[in-house]
Amino acid sequence: MDAALNGLMALADPHLMVLIVAATLGGVLVGALPGLNATTGVALLLPFTITMDPVPAIAILTTIYCAATFAGAITAILINTPGTSASATTCLDGYPLAQRGEAGRALGVAAVSSTIGGIISVVCLMAAAPLMARAAYNFAPPEYFALTVFGLSMLATIGDGSPVKNILSGAFGVLLATVGIDLLTSIERFTFGMNELSEGIPFVPVMIGVFGISELLVQADNLHVERKPVIMKKIKLPSREDYKRVWKTILRSSGIGTFIGILPAEGATVASMIGYNEAKRWSKKPEEFGNGSLEGIAGSEAANNSATGGAMVPTLALGIPGSPTAAVILAGLMVHGLRPGPTMFTEQADFAFAIFWSMMFVNILFFFIGLWGAKIFARVTLIPIQILWPIVFIFSIVGAYALEQSMMDVWIAIGAGIVGFFMRRHGFSVVPMAIGLILGGMLETRLGQSMVMLDEKWWLMATRPLSLLFFVLTILALFGPMVWGRLFKQRSPLKSTGE
Amino acid sequence: MHAEEHSSSPPARRHISNVAVPLGIVAFCVWAFWLSTQFDRVPPILKRGMQPSDFPQLVIGLIILLAVWLMFRDKSEAPARLSKMAQVTMGLLVGFLLIAEVDLFLGLALFSASLATLWGERRVWAIVLVGLISPIAVFFLFDGIFEVRFPRGLLTNLWYG
Repeated sequence: MDAALNGLMALADPHLMVLIVAATLGGVLVGALPGLNATTGVALLLPFTITMDPVPAIAILTTIYCAATFAGAITAILINTPGTSASATTCLDGYPLAQRGEAGRALGVAAVSSTIGGIISVVCLMAAAPLMARAAYNFAPPEYFALTVFGLSMLATIGDGSPVKNILSGAFGVLLATVGIDLLTSIERFTFGMNELSEGIPFVPVMIGVFGISELLVQADNLHVERKPVIMKKIKLPSREDYKRVWKTILRSSGIGTFIGILPAEGATVASMIGYNEAKRWSKKPEEFGNGSLEGIAGSEAANNSATGGAMVPTLALGIPGSPTAAVILAGLMVHGLRPGPTMFTEQADFAFAIFWSMMFVNILFFFIGLWGAKIFARVTLIPIQILWPIVFIFSIVGAYALEQSMMDVWIAIGAGIVGFFMRRHGFSVVPMAIGLILGGMLETRLGQSMVMLDEKWWLMATRPLSLLFFVLTILALFGPMVWGRLFKQRSPLKSTGE
Repeated sequence: MHAEEHSSSPPARRHISNVAVPLGIVAFCVWAFWLSTQFDRVPPILKRGMQPSDFPQLVIGLIILLAVWLMFRDKSEAPARLSKMAQVTMGLLVGFLLIAEVDLFLGLALFSASLATLWGERRVWAIVLVGLISPIAVFFLFDGIFEVRFPRGLLTNLWYG
């Protein structure tokens, strides 16, 4: 309780409030720009926070996360282009409404659904994260190892790509994490005699490369694709009847989104798809879905925004990212010398609650921005990409350089960008690679500690109940969908638009 | 492992990249495995659970296994031909890296202006904005506010003295 109050007091700092408001506007801008999304925005902004104290630095990153996730709906509704992949399902009903001149109703329902979903998930985060941390406090290395393996296995279902390719990409990230001095034996591995690599491949330039530079190349490859002009009509807000019609959907999708967010690696995109499908399944008018259903917008938006709070639960309580963007925030926590995990709620509880309150504040803030600023933010889509992307590139490169002030990091960012681009071309998501790179070190250290603890008899890990539980969950995560799909012929899942 | 079935639409045509990509991954893994055999080893008395090469070799083994699986089961569509624009943009990136070794600021300015022009920008003010004003603004933002010093080079020396 004290920590919650102290966290709230930390937020009372006017300087921090101004930063959060600015970051909310920046996040909405990032989310509204097609090609940029929450993950890229957080990765690009991370180097700018290095000189700040941890509370404002991480508050800014989480603010960008929440605001950008919401803002994807603005362009999804107004120009049929989801600003983020989590808003892909919002296009299905938002754009038809905009075409009928009812963009205001769609934006209003999206803003209300996002705000309520976000607030519910932050309340769950405040309650669940300390409980999860307390449960994990007595985890020994074998339990941590099994938990990390489970977290990595969840990468299989990221996006709409092949699960095998996702796992392969994650394993590649784990392999990259072995570069540098082995922490257990102090022996150099894969460094090729370069001192810069002795501490391993740095996270931040890789994140900037795979999310920022690779997207620049994707944009170059798609330069011929014609962009639809913005529909700008008078914005009329939703009526009370509209809200009455969608409140059950909002609550249901908020629950779904929070739960999906808590699962390691599953983020807002998966949440919005499931939220949308469930909204349709429970609707009295399923035939309206795809033709401008307010319930469809509410189902998608409440779910994707509630996933942001949910995703922060395992990130802060266990050190296992709950979504791709949470993985970048996790890297940010590490860069600031913080240790995400159970001890965060005993040693840095004030910090954790300051972050929770800042997320709550952002969710309320973007309600107003969403309702009354959408028209202005929709105009940012008019910025020509031949002006936007060179500027993004400058920020990417200087951001990659700034952390260690090393040109090696610039090379790593460009290299990661080119590798990431080709991975994406061939259907390998770059998100598992990024998460594998972050979790790889932890995975190896826990395995080594477990081997010492169990006298090198690794199979004894399966005799510990919690480890066994996580291993069983891993098997279910990897093979469950295949078995389920064979047993019960499923409908084809909705396709997401990218990462 | 279920999406392969979904992604393979009925007349699934195997493309050369379905084999070439996994083969490339296996070749990379073989090289990485060989590198891992060159790591120093610790004497058994100092060994803390694992030798330094054990974990990387375990991961490499998993990657090879998955790549071989892909080689025989992946029926996903081959990507469209890489556009000329993407190829030239990639060339510009390489050019940027070379110029950045001489001066990072110069590299950023030249790359940004070239990219904007390559992507079809013809308005002079826009090219000046991305090729001159933006790099200068970012330079002073980092130098003045974040206290990040750019590496010394041809142009940055004029400022740093």
